[in-house]
Amino acid sequence: MCVKHLNTPLVEAEKFSFGYEEDMLLKDLQFALEKEEFILVAGASGSGKSTLALCLNGLYPEAVEGTKKGAVRIHGRKTEDYEKGELSQRIGVVFQDPESQFCMMKVEDELAFVLENQKVPSEEMEQKIDRVLLETGLSEQKHRLIHELSGGQKQKIALASVLLMEPDLLILDEPTANLDPVSSLEFAELAAAVQRERRCAVMVIEHQPDDWMPFIKRVLLLGKDGRMKADGSPDQIYLQQKDLLIQEGVYLPQTFRRPESPLLLPESREEEIIRVENLSYSRKDRTILTDVNFSMRAGEFAAVTGENGTGKSTLLQLMARLLEPESGKVLFAGKNINDWEEGELRKRSGYVFQNPEHQFITDTVFEELAFGPELNGKRDAEAHVHRLLKTFHLTEQREASPFSLSGGQKRRLSVATMLEETPDILFFDEPTFGQDARTTEELMKIVLELRRKGTAIVFVTHDMDLVDKYCEKVLVLTEGTAVFNGKPETLWTEDELLARARLRLPHRIREREVYRVVD
Amino acid sequence: MSSINPALKGITVLIPGLLLSFTFDVFTPLVFLVFMITFTLLFSGIPIKKWLLFFSPFILLALGFAWMTMLYTSDAFAGGEHLFSVWRFEVTTGSVMVGISLALRSLCFVSLSLLFILTTDSTKFMLSLMQQLKLPPKITFGILAGYRFLPTFRYEYQVLRQAHRVRGIGRAKGIRERIYQFRRYAIPLMANAIRKAERTANAMESKGFTGSADRTHYHQMKISRKDWMFFGVINGALIITLLASYQLGYLNIFGHRFV
Repeated sequence: MCVKHLNTPLVEAEKFSFGYEEDMLLKDLQFALEKEEFILVAGASGSGKSTLALCLNGLYPEAVEGTKKGAVRIHGRKTEDYEKGELSQRIGVVFQDPESQFCMMKVEDELAFVLENQKVPSEEMEQKIDRVLLETGLSEQKHRLIHELSGGQKQKIALASVLLMEPDLLILDEPTANLDPVSSLEFAELAAAVQRERRCAVMVIEHQPDDWMPFIKRVLLLGKDGRMKADGSPDQIYLQQKDLLIQEGVYLPQTFRRPESPLLLPESREEEIIRVENLSYSRKDRTILTDVNFSMRAGEFAAVTGENGTGKSTLLQLMARLLEPESGKVLFAGKNINDWEEGELRKRSGYVFQNPEHQFITDTVFEELAFGPELNGKRDAEAHVHRLLKTFHLTEQREASPFSLSGGQKRRLSVATMLEETPDILFFDEPTFGQDARTTEELMKIVLELRRKGTAIVFVTHDMDLVDKYCEKVLVLTEGTAVFNGKPETLWTEDELLARARLRLPHRIREREVYRVVD
Repeated sequence: MSSINPALKGITVLIPGLLLSFTFDVFTPLVFLVFMITFTLLFSGIPIKKWLLFFSPFILLALGFAWMTMLYTSDAFAGGEHLFSVWRFEVTTGSVMVGISLALRSLCFVSLSLLFILTTDSTKFMLSLMQQLKLPPKITFGILAGYRFLPTFRYEYQVLRQAHRVRGIGRAKGIRERIYQFRRYAIPLMANAIRKAERTANAMESKGFTGSADRTHYHQMKISRKDWMFFGVINGALIITLLASYQLGYLNIFGHRFV
C-alpha cells in the first residue's frame, strides 16, 4: 500500500473528456500532478478551466447532467469510486465570487459548517477553528458577520474553510479576480505560505497570474477547444510559445513582457465638459463622499481609483445624475446637471455598468441597439444599428438573446447601447473586472476610438497598469475624500499615499525601480 | 428571552395562535392580549420603543379588519339590536362584538409573532429546527444560504433601475407597460439568482456537505427546564383565560356559547 502510494501521482487524468450531451467542453486531457506541485492552469474564458476544477473534486458529472469519457484518478483511485463527499475533502476549492461561497452569517459558523460536514466531534471544533484563523491571519474576524467583511477577507475565509478539510490538493479558481490589487497580492502570498507550511499541491486557475508567477513551477495551457495545448515550465510556455498564447487569447504575464510605456495621446481639448464642486453625499448617517472637487475637459481620459467601498461608484453615479448630491453641485457642459432635461442628458452622456446584463432590456441584440434610436424617433434607426453591429463585431449575433452572448460580446453590446449618438462623456464602472485579456483589449480599442472623436472617458478601476498606459488624469479616493487629483506620473512618486489607498505601482514603474536598485 | 430554544419557542406561540382563532367573544382575546403585552414588556428584554414601533401599525390594520367585519358579518353572528346603518349595511350589537373580537385576536397574533421574531436569531432557529424537529439539513442549510441572498437582491434591483434609467426608460405607465417592466427586471434578476445559487451549491458541496443528517453540531441546541417553563407560562395563561371566560359565561367558540 505504502509503496504504491509513493509511486502514484496525486492526480492523473487519462484521456479525460467532459461535456453536455454531444458537446464536449474538455477533450482528451492527459496529465499528472505530483504531490507538493504548484501549477497554473491558463486559458481564455470559456476554455473549461472552472469545469476542470469541479471534475477533479468529484462534483461533476454528478451535480449536472454531464457525460464523461476516460478517467481521473486521485491517489490512483478513480473519482467515481470515492464515497459522496469524500473527494471534496481531499481536494479543496476556493472559487472566484466572494459573494456566493458561504451559507452561514458568521465567520465561525461557516468554518464550523465544514467541520460538521466531516463529523468532527463538537468539543474539538473550537480549537481547530482558532488554529486555522491564526494560520490565515483572521483571528480578529472570528465573531464577525461575513457580509461585513471586505472581498479580500471573504476570500481568505473561503481558503480557511477549505483548509479545515486538510486537502492534499488546493484548487484556487480565479480567487483574486474580484479583489483590489493589494488584497490580490496578499491572497497569493498567503496561499503560497500555506502551501510551504502544509506541503500540499496547489492548482491556480487564473487569467492574469502576475501575482502568482513567483510561486508557479509549471503551466498547463487549456485551449479554446477544450484540449490541452501545452504543458511545461513558465519559461518554456511564456518564452517559447508566444504565438500559441496570442492565438488562444491568453494573457502574457508582465514579467515576460517589455513594460508598456504610456500611450502618446492627442491633447484633449480646452473646453470643460464636467465639473464637480464641493460634492458631498451620505447614506443613512454614513458619510460616503466629502467635499470632492474634480473636472474634466472634452476628450479627456480619467480614472477614479481607491480601495473598495470608498465611494468611487457613488461619485460616478452622482456625476451621471443617478443620485442626488447632498451638497455641492455638478456642472455638465457648463450647465447645472439638475437643469438638464432627462432625455437630453441621457443622449449626451452614457454609463456602462459593471455587469453588462443589467443594461439589457430587450430580447435580441438587434432590438437592444434599436431601442434608443426608436425611443427618440430617429429616422435612419436601422442603418444606425447595422453600423453599430459591424463596428462591434456583433452582426452574426444580431438575432441572439443578449443574455446568451459570451462575456466579451456582452461587454461590447453594453457599450454599443450607449452610442446612439457620440456622447460627450462616458462613465465606466469597473469595466475590466473579471474579464480576460482579449476582452479588455477589445474594450480599450473601442474606448480609444471614442476618445479620438472627442468623448471624455471616466473609468472606475483598480488596474494601475491601465491607468498608467491610458489615463491623463487620476483621482484617488480614500474614505470618501479626494487625496490625489492629477497626472498618473506624479501619483507614482507618492509612495505613502499609494499605500494608504491600497494601490500598487504599475508594473512599468516597479520594473524601473528594480533596475535602479541594481544600478 | 432570546436564550429560549427557538423551535420550542415557535411551538409555544403557535398554540395560542391556533386556539384563539376559534374564540369569537371579546373577553378571551382581550384578557390574553393584556397578558401578552405585560409579559413582553416585563420579561422579553425587547426595548419598549422598538416594540411599539413594530406593534403600532398593526393597531390601525386591526381597526380596519374590525370595521370591515362589522359591515359584512355573516347572518349567524349578526344577532342583537339594530344599532345604525352605513349606506345599505345594517350594524347590530352582534356584528360589533364580532368585529371587536377579530381586532383583538389579530393583535394577539401580532404580539405572539413579535415575541418570537424580535427575540429569535434566524441561524439558531434553523439549527434548532434541524436538531430538535429533525428537519433535513438540505432544507435548513438551503434556507440559511438563501437568506444571505436577500441584501444582494435589493442592491441588484437598485442597480437595474439605474441602468434602465440610463437607457432612457422612465417610470412605467399603464398596465401593459408595467408588465413589460416587470419582465425586464425579472429576467436579469432571475438569471443572476440562478447563477449565484448554483455557485453557492457548488461551494457547499466542495466543503463536504452531502445533505446527510449524520453530522455533528458546533452549536448544540438543547431544550432545558427554562424552555419548558416558558412554554408552561404562555400556554398556562391561555388555559386560565379560557377557563375564566367559560366560568363567566363569555366564551364563544365558533358562535357556540357555553352558558
